[in-house]
Amino acid sequence: MEGETFDRRLSRADMLRLAGLAAGVGVVAGPAAAADAAVARLTQESGRLQVLDWAGYGNDGGQAMFKAYVHKHPHNKPQFTYMTNESDALAKIQAGAHPDLFRPYVGWVKYFAQSGLVQPWNPKLIPNFKHLNPFMVKAGQYKGKQYGIPDDWGFDAILYRKDKVHPKARSWGLLFDERYKGKIAWFDDLEMITIAGLYLKAKNPWNQTQAELTRSVNFLKKKKHVARMTWASEADLWQAFGSGEVWIAYAWPNDWVTMKKKHPVVYMHPKEKPIAWVGMFMLLKGTPRPHLSHAYVNAWSSKASGQWLENNYGYGHANVEAKPTSSALLKALQLTNPKAVTLPNAYLDRNIPNRAEYAHLWEQVKAA
Amino acid sequence: MGAGEGGLTVEAATSEPAVAPRRRRRLRLTTPALLGLPVSWLAVFFLAPIAIVAAYSVDVLVLFPGPHGFTLSAWRSLFSGSNPYLHLFAKSVEMSLIVSAVVVLVAYPLAYFLALSGTKRKYILLLVLIAPFLTSYLLRVLAWKVILGDQGVINSFLFWTGLRSPDHPLSFLLYSRFAVMLVLGYVWLPFVALPIFVTLETLDRGLLEAASDLYASRLQAFVRVTLPLSAPGLVAAFLFVFIPTVGEFITPSLVGGTGGYMYGNQIVDLFGTGFPDWETGSVLALFLLAVIAVLTLVFVRFLRAGEVQAA
Repeated sequence: MEGETFDRRLSRADMLRLAGLAAGVGVVAGPAAAADAAVARLTQESGRLQVLDWAGYGNDGGQAMFKAYVHKHPHNKPQFTYMTNESDALAKIQAGAHPDLFRPYVGWVKYFAQSGLVQPWNPKLIPNFKHLNPFMVKAGQYKGKQYGIPDDWGFDAILYRKDKVHPKARSWGLLFDERYKGKIAWFDDLEMITIAGLYLKAKNPWNQTQAELTRSVNFLKKKKHVARMTWASEADLWQAFGSGEVWIAYAWPNDWVTMKKKHPVVYMHPKEKPIAWVGMFMLLKGTPRPHLSHAYVNAWSSKASGQWLENNYGYGHANVEAKPTSSALLKALQLTNPKAVTLPNAYLDRNIPNRAEYAHLWEQVKAA
Repeated sequence: MGAGEGGLTVEAATSEPAVAPRRRRRLRLTTPALLGLPVSWLAVFFLAPIAIVAAYSVDVLVLFPGPHGFTLSAWRSLFSGSNPYLHLFAKSVEMSLIVSAVVVLVAYPLAYFLALSGTKRKYILLLVLIAPFLTSYLLRVLAWKVILGDQGVINSFLFWTGLRSPDHPLSFLLYSRFAVMLVLGYVWLPFVALPIFVTLETLDRGLLEAASDLYASRLQAFVRVTLPLSAPGLVAAFLFVFIPTVGEFITPSLVGGTGGYMYGNQIVDLFGTGFPDWETGSVLALFLLAVIAVLTLVFVRFLRAGEVQAA
C-alpha cells in the first residue's frame, strides 16, 4: 500500500526476483517473514538524503531538528542544498536539481501541487503526524491529498526600536512613514505588494485587480525612498538593525528574538493583520528515497524538535505538544491559540494566482 | 674544412625534401594543438552558455515545461517606452563611468610615480598597492560596512570630534549609490594602476630626453609624449573597470541598499527571486553583453586611430 504513494515502482525483474525469493525461502522458513525480508531488501533506499532547504536549517545550525533521523539512518545523512526563496527552489528544480524533499511555505502549496513536480506524502509513515496542528495540516492539502507537511510557522510583521520610533498607529503604514526616512528596511520579495495591498485596503491583497495592483505598485515606487534597504537574508537585516542603520523593519519572530538581545524592540502586529506563514515539507515526484524522506520529516515533526525550534529560533512549530520554555515566547507566539495563524488573528499566506505578474511588478519597483 | 662544409651542405640539401614535409606537418599540427584547448574552453564555457542564454531570451528554451516557440516579445518589451530596466541600465552605466574615470584619475599619478620616479622600491610599493588582492573580495567589501556604517569608523570619528551628533550620523555613507561607487573604486584600483604602470614602465625614456633637448617643458613633455604613449594603458585600465562594474551585483547587494541597486542585481533577481523570469533575465544579460562589446570595439578603434595619428 505504501508503495502506491510513490512514483518508484518495482521493475518486472525485481518482481520476479521477489517472487522467486519469497517462493524459495518460503519452503524453508515460512512465507510471510521471507517475503517481508525480500521486500525490505529490494526497496532499500541508498545514498544520502538530498534536502533543499533554507539557510539555518541544515548543518549550519539546524542539526537538532533532524538529530533523531541521523541517529536512525547514519548511512543516509541529509545533504543540503540551500534555497534563498521558493522561486529560487523552483528555478533550481526546473533547471535539473533533484532533491528528495524541499520546504516552501504555505502560499506555494497549491502552485507546487499543480506543477506536477511533487507528490503527496503518506501520513501513515509519519508517526508524529497525529500531533500536528489540524488547521496547518489542512493548509498543506490540495484536492484532499497531503502535499505539504507543516513544520515551522510564524508571522510577517513589523519590528521597531521603541527607544527611537513612536508609531502613530499600529499599522503596516510604519514601513512607509516619512518621519523615519532612511531608517526603514523592506523585505526583498513580491510580498511587499501584498502588504501594500493590505495597507491600501485592497479587497484581496493576494489577488488584486489591475487597478489595485497599479495603485499598490505606484505607492511602493513613491515610498521607496523611505526604505534604506530591502533585505533578502536575515543576516543582512540583523547587521543593519543591530548596528543602528535601520530602526524599523519587516521582520519575522526570529528577528525579534535575535534583536531584543541588542536593542529595546517591539514586534508589532499591525491592525490590518500580520501575514502568517507555515513551512511545508514537500516530496519531489520520482524521488528514489521516499521512505527516508518520510523518516526525516517525522524527525522534524517531533515534540523535541519543535521545542528546540521554538526556544532557539523563536518560531512556532506545528507539533501542538511542543511548547517553548520561555513564557514571553509562549505569549508572543500565541502558542496556546491553535488558530493563531488565521483570522481574526492573522491572514494565513495564500496562493497568488498571478504570481508572475506580482514578481514582474516588484522587480519594476526595485528598478524604478 | 671546405670538404666537410661541402659534405654537410650536400647532406643537408639531400635530406631536406625528406625532413621538410615532417616539419611542415609538425608546424601544421602545432597551431591547432596550442590553440585547441583555449578555443575549446572558450567554446564550451563562453560561446555555448551565451547561445543557451540567447535561446532562453527568444523562448526557444524555457524553464517551465509547456507550449513555447521563437518569439521576440521580451526583446520588444525591453525597448518599449516605459521599460524601467533601460533606466536602470543607464543608471548603472553612469555609475560605472564615474567610478572608472575617477579611479583612472587617481591611479595614473600613482602609477606614474612608481614607473618614472626611479625609486628602487617601486616593486615593493607595487606589491603594497596590490596587497588587498591577497584577501577575499567579499571580505574587502564587507570591511567597508564596518567603516561606513552609522556606528562605523568614519561616523565614530565625527562623533568623537563633535562634528556630528550620534543622533545624526552621515547616513549616505552606507546603503547608497555613493557607497557602491566608493567600494567599487577601491576594489578595482589595483586593476587600473597595473596596466598604466606597465605602459609607463616600457616607455622609451629617450623620447622624454629628446623632448627635453628640444626645449619642451616637463608639462609639455608629459602632454605631448608621455600621455599619448600611455593612452593604450589608460584605455585598457578604463575598460578593466568599466566592463565588470557595469554588470556588478555583489557590491551593490552588500552596500547599495535601495539607492545603489544596479542592472546586475536586476538580472540576478529575474533569474532567482519573486518568480523566475529567465526570458527577461536573458534579454537583459545579452543586452549588457552587446553594449559592452560595442563600447569595447569603439574604444579599441578610437585607440588605433590615435596610434596611427601619433605615428
